Amino acid sequence: MGDRVRRVREARQESAGKVGAVGAELMQRVARGDEAAFEQLYDLLVGPVFGLVRRIVRDPAQSEEVVQEIMVELWRSAARYSPERGSAMTWAMTIAHRRAVDRVRSAQAAADRDDTVGRRDIGRPFDEVAEQVTTRLEQEQVRRCLRTLTELQRESVLLAYYGGRTYREVGDLLDTPLGTIKTRLRDGLIRLRDCLGVA
Amino acid sequence: MSPDIHALTGAYALNAVSDDERAEFERHLADCEPCAQEVAELRETATRLALAAAEEPPAALRSRVLGQIGTVRQLPPETTVVPLRRKDRRPLARRLTTMAAAVLLVAAAALGVLVVRQNQQLDDTRAQAAEMSEILRAGDAQVVTLDGGDGGDGGDGGRITVAMSRSLDRMLLLGDDLPDPPSGHDFQVWSGHDGTMVSAGLLTPDHGEALLAVRGFGDADQIAVTVEPDGGSDQPTSAPVLSVDLPTA
Repeated sequence: MGDRVRRVREARQESAGKVGAVGAELMQRVARGDEAAFEQLYDLLVGPVFGLVRRIVRDPAQSEEVVQEIMVELWRSAARYSPERGSAMTWAMTIAHRRAVDRVRSAQAAADRDDTVGRRDIGRPFDEVAEQVTTRLEQEQVRRCLRTLTELQRESVLLAYYGGRTYREVGDLLDTPLGTIKTRLRDGLIRLRDCLGVA
Repeated sequence: MSPDIHALTGAYALNAVSDDERAEFERHLADCEPCAQEVAELRETATRLALAAAEEPPAALRSRVLGQIGTVRQLPPETTVVPLRRKDRRPLARRLTTMAAAVLLVAAAALGVLVVRQNQQLDDTRAQAAEMSEILRAGDAQVVTLDGGDGGDGGDGGRITVAMSRSLDRMLLLGDDLPDPPSGHDFQVWSGHDGTMVSAGLLTPDHGEALLAVRGFGDADQIAVTVEPDGGSDQPTSAPVLSVDLPTA
């Protein structure tokens, strides 16, 4: 455990100053109710949160609502963030992804059970990503690394993360057995991790 | 760990699991250190996908959120560790709970080191962690600290924290910053019973950290550590390098 904490810490130190780094001190101030600190945190987090939610939820008005819920949730639970478990950015993105997915899964359950809806979407998340992932360095790097994945790995990872699909849904969409999808998600992320130099 | 559930680390890190699967996997994570490590890294990786998707949000959103937080009360931290203050006026029971939590942290750190360096002894280590939590849960749990003074040869620095319960007749010693014993020697722990010393076992520092569980110390009124020839002695052959009087029940 000691080694792991150390490694996570080192990873955080390395990422300090890079895109997406949120200082521990800023989190502490937010946890103590410092609203000015929260404004800084908002500015650091809202771009990725909004982009992620937009990809998953799609509808612009609903996306805004969900982003607002997420940002308020981050304020509410800032004291529950523990640096030992990972970076503050990842803590925030985990909360954001769950909220966005909760919204689409409950809407989906209420609205339709028609699994043909998703099928036509298969190519879209990645095409959109490919378009967007051109401007910043971070995007360049992610794009380059995504290309090192096999097609099935890449499609699975992007459908799951940007599409907000469960691995079962990904399996249905790609007509691939569940065991294979689980493995591709893991292998794909591992390859991405190594290419991006995470941890 | 079963390879099947381990394969779920990717899906879990991407939040691509159902609520039931998530709950089940989180139970598994609590007992699977390699899985937790992998999940932490894969989550950081997923975060990079979110960063790559960043988009400029509508400006009006900012003022709505900042307006709303003024009306939302924040949750307290989950941790039970409270920083100790010099003038501590909390009731004794609560101070002990805090101390116990602090000792648990020391234990966790020491155990972590042991887990990494001595994987073979994982079961022993787990048993000691269980021992520690049993002791700390006992109604009469007490915590004392032996600070390394200059009591004799080999006694420069180091600290041993003792968590004990007289009702359970058990104690756990946690050493940190301990020097290595002189070559050909061991640190031996003794319980003192009105002047009579009874061996409680050897304390072997690993990078300054050591753990020793003691069962059955009876009416001991003192804990002492001496430097003894390799393997220990029947009776102390040198003056203690560390010693402390134990609190009575």
